[in-house]
Parts: sequence; structure tokens; C-alpha cells
Amino acid sequence: MIEIKDVVKRYGAGESCVEVLKGVSFNIEDGRFAVILGASGSGKSTLLNVASGLDKPDGGSVIYDGENISLYDDKQLTQFRKNKVGFIFQQYYLLPHLSVEQNVKLGADLAKNEDYKSIITAVGLGDKLRKRPSSLSGGEQQRVAIARALAKKPQVLFLDEPTGALDEQTGRQALDYICGLQKELGFTMIMVTHNRNIAEMADIVVCMNSGRISEIYQNQTVKSAYEIGW
Amino acid sequence: MIVGVKDSLKLIGISAISFCAVLVCAMFLNYLIDVNLAADMAGAQAAALYKAQVLTAKVVVAVTGGCLGVAAMIMLFFYIKNYIDAHKNELGILKAMGYSNFRIALHFWSFGFGVFFGTALGFAISYAIMPEFYRAQTEGGALPELAIGFHAEVLAYTVIIPTVLFAVGAILYAAIKLSRPVIELIKDREKCSDKMCREKPDDKPFLVSLKRSVLSSKKTLVFFIMFASFCFSAMTQMSVSMDDYAGPMLMAMMMVIGLALAFLSMLIAVVSAVNGNAKTLAMLRVFGYSRTECCNAVLGGYRPFAYLGFAIGTAYQYGLLKIMVELVFKDFGVPELKFDYVVMLISLAAFILLYEGMIFVNVQRIKKISLKQIMAEN
Ligand SMILES: Nc1ncnc2c1ncn2[C@@H]1O[C@H](COP(=O)(O)OP(=O)(O)O)[C@@H](O)[C@H]1O
Ligand SMILES: [Mg+2]
Repeated sequence: MIEIKDVVKRYGAGESCVEVLKGVSFNIEDGRFAVILGASGSGKSTLLNVASGLDKPDGGSVIYDGENISLYDDKQLTQFRKNKVGFIFQQYYLLPHLSVEQNVKLGADLAKNEDYKSIITAVGLGDKLRKRPSSLSGGEQQRVAIARALAKKPQVLFLDEPTGALDEQTGRQALDYICGLQKELGFTMIMVTHNRNIAEMADIVVCMNSGRISEIYQNQTVKSAYEIGW
Repeated sequence: MIVGVKDSLKLIGISAISFCAVLVCAMFLNYLIDVNLAADMAGAQAAALYKAQVLTAKVVVAVTGGCLGVAAMIMLFFYIKNYIDAHKNELGILKAMGYSNFRIALHFWSFGFGVFFGTALGFAISYAIMPEFYRAQTEGGALPELAIGFHAEVLAYTVIIPTVLFAVGAILYAAIKLSRPVIELIKDREKCSDKMCREKPDDKPFLVSLKRSVLSSKKTLVFFIMFASFCFSAMTQMSVSMDDYAGPMLMAMMMVIGLALAFLSMLIAVVSAVNGNAKTLAMLRVFGYSRTECCNAVLGGYRPFAYLGFAIGTAYQYGLLKIMVELVFKDFGVPELKFDYVVMLISLAAFILLYEGMIFVNVQRIKKISLKQIMAEN
């Protein structure tokens, strides 16, 4: 269970200081898929970064299974990220001179996961193991990033606009891979998006507006990537 | 491997410097050991002469090895910093995944390759020209010819230890450079320092404030340009002034090494200055600023620092030589050291030519690259 309590985040100092998160609280049960929805600039990415331990809050706390990670030092945070969380960003951030397989292995090594090849197959890249990222399409590159994150067997997966750089068709395909694997493996997933349709795929939807939560609701029925009509 | 072998091969500047350093140091070290052995067996008169030679050799080894070693280390750090800046997203994602700073930094050991190539080659060449050097040292007949002995410790001091030291230095420096918040590495947003945030928007012309921000965003580059000018000024002037004290062979060697070192570091500095600001230059041109305005705004800011480096180098070499003459050669009745204005002016003229010429050539190079190419690179 992840508990976000009264999280405040500011950027800058003095007169130019802006409060980007103005006291945000919500909980997410294990194994759920939550979407953080909101317009550009509403503070979604900031919230995701704080919730995932990439960034520290200026106030409030982020609690994983009773442990307050906002009190962790750099070493503890590294350990936390290594054991608990995975990331997928809009940019793929693959290592350019490593092959698809080696890129995924970077994630697998951390969890001592020997079976990473099955994940590459699961995202449909089984025949592209030896290829360099630069020779892949955007959608394929994003699937490598997905495989790399999942090979680490994260308990919580964080995604920041994972389909933002993809066209509709490939984006939907990538979402489908991710959601299928989430249901199958049962990890918690928190995704940032500005696309209302994607929110229909989630269990919980957290709506952000200028640094505050404007609405939280649970979807009674969850749609698949092909049903959302996006 | 996170850092490719290809990346470490780009360290040609470091290879060249370590080559020069080892070429000189291996020769003198070897000679030093052989002379010491000979001195033990020689008569009192020859022993005194040998002692003097040992002293000279020690100074040469300390000065060349020390200066060039520091130069190479600074260059290494500069490379690593640039490498991390250029790959910060990928390195950031590794950190986000849970790799520790140290584990990522371990991959930077391969930067030691550059040093290994240089030192190994320097060592080999040094032994190849050693007979010539030994003959020059014992010329005049006051001393008997010395046989060249091979000493394993010379290999250790000039090749093995430096390589290990640089590999370890690369790892440690990378670990320090990586120990910042993950978010800073992943996001392209520059960290807004408190000072920058507090600063009021100034009403100076755009190009003037651009000049300032270019300088403050690439501080290492400013330092590196200063360092290159420093090397140029110190090494050229020192080699000429040394003539009275060290003999023509040493002077020629110092001159060649100094010029090579200065030229290389200047080249690296100017190329990085132009490349590092290529995008800004391209953007400005898109907005319709003239080429001269662009180049002045982006590159003109480095100029005062280059000349400051030259001035410091001049003072440094004079001070160093003065101390050396007073400490080492005081018993040998050599003339007092005077500041040589002519040499300084010649060196300054050469420096102006070199610096301005390099900037000019590189700006021409940038002009040839189309805007699209520059913007597409990222
Ligand atoms: N490092 C930063 N420094 C200053 N302001 C920032 C920084 N990061 C984000 N912001 C500001 O915080 C606000 C929210 O940003 P973000 O969380 O990225 O929004 P979203 O992801 O919802 O588009 C924006 O107004 C942005 O300009
Ligand atoms: Mg965002």
C-alpha cells in the first residue's frame, strides 16, 4: 500500500518560488492501476517523481508499507528504487550502444532475473534481440523500455506519459502490453497522462488541477486499450 | 558496458600528453638509476659530476611528470564531465533503476585506456631513442660512457602506476559527478540555483545577458580555456628561458612537448566551446541575428579568460624558473634569471594568432553545418 500524505513541493526560492504541489493526499492499494490525470503543467510529473522517490517532497510524506521514504537518504533511496520500483518515461532513455537484449539485461541484473528473454518475447521483440535501439521504431523502442522496467520485477511501476511520443495505433499497442502484464503479474501501476480516454482503463483515477487533487474516483468497469475509443 | 571502448578512444589528447610525459620521464628516470649506480663506483671527482646530473634529472622528471600529469588529469576530468553531461539521461535512468553511483562509475575505468596507449608508446619510443640521449649526456669526455640498463621500476612508475591511477581517478570522479539527484539527470531542465532564481530579470540587451549565461552555464569550459592558454604561455616561454641552464636537447624537448600540449588543449577547448554552443548559435541565426553578432555573443565571453590564462602562465613560469635557479643551480655559478620581454611578446603574438585563428576556423566550420543538422543532433 502506498500512502501519499499532504505532499507539498516547491520550486525556486524567494519571490520566484512556486508551489507546484499544494498538499496532495491519496492511497493506492497493492496491485491496483492508478492514473494521474490533468492538464499540462498541473503538477502530474512532479507528483509522480515525489511518489516514486525520484524527488523529495518539501512537506508531507510518502509511505510504502508503513515506511516513510521521504526520510530516506541517498543510499536508502537507491536501495529502495533497486528493490521496489520501475520507471517508464515518455522518452525511452535506452543506452544507444547496447543491443535490445543488453538494455533489458540492465534491468534484469538488478533483480538477478535470469528469465528476461521471455519478457522481450512478451513485448513482441523476440526477433530483435541483437538490434541497436537506433534501428528500431519509436514504438519498438518504448517496448524495450517496458521490457527493461519489467525485467526488474518491480512491485510498483511508474509511467510518465508512456505513449506521449507514439502515434495512436502504436501507443494503444504499448498500453495493451503494459496492462496485460500488469494484470498477469499483479504489480501496482501508477501512470501519468493527460488523455481522458486512457483513464477509463484504470482502477483509480486521480485528477490534478493546479497542484491540487480536484477529484478521485474508482472505475466500476475497466476497459481495455482497444475499447477506450481513443 | 555502459561506457563504450569507442568513447575512451576519443581521449587522444590525454594519450598525447601521457606519451610526452613518459617519453621524457622514462628516459631521465632510467638515466638517473644508471648514473646512481655508476656514481657509487666512480672516484670523488666524477661522483660530484654525477650527483649534479642526478639532481637535474630529478628536477626534469618532477617538473615534466608533475605538470603533464596534472594536465592529463584535468583533461580526463573534463572529458568525464562532458561525457556525463552528454549522456545524463541514460545515466539518470540507470540511477532511477537502482544502480548506485559507484556501480555506474565503475564502468568509467575504461577511460584509463587512453592513458595506457600514450604511456606504453612513450615508454617504447623512449627506450628507442635512449642510446642517443645517453651519448648526449656524457658528451665532452668528462664522464665515461654509460651502458643502458633496463629497470622494471621505470616501467612501473611510467606505465603501470599512471594507468591504474587514471582508471581509479576516472571512477572516483565519475562517482562524484553522478552523485546528484536522479531527477536532475533525467530532466533536461537546468537546475535553477537560488541565485539565478532570485536575480531580477535584467534590462540589458539580449545579447549581453546571453553572453553571461553562456559563460556561467559552462564553467568548466572557461576553466579549460584558461588552462590551455596557461600551458601555452608557460611552456613556450619556459623552454626558451631554460636554454641557459639545461642544454639544447632538453630545451628542444620542452619546446616540442609544450607546443604539442598547448596546441592540443587549445584545440580541445575551442572545439568544445564552439560545439557546446552550436545550438545557441544556430537558434540565434534562426531568429535573424547576424553571424558576427552570434559569434561575439557566444564565444567572445571566453576571450578575457584566455588572455588571463596567458598572463598567469607567464608569471608562473618566471616564478618557477626563478625558484629552480636559486635552489638547484646556485652552486654552479649560472647567470641570474631575468624576465625576458622579447620572448614574452613573441609568445603572446603566437598565442593571439593561434587562439583567434582556431576560433575563426571553428566558426567557419559551424557556418557550414546546416541548421537542420545541428538541431537534429539531439
Ligand atoms: N525543476 C523545476 N523548476 C521550476 N519549475 C518547475 C520544475 N519542474 C516543474 N516545474 C513547474 O511545475 C509545474 C508542474 O510541472 P509538471 O509536474 O511537469 O507538470 P505536468 O507533468 O502536469 O505537465 C509547471 O508549471 C512547471 O513549470
Ligand atoms: Mg509531465
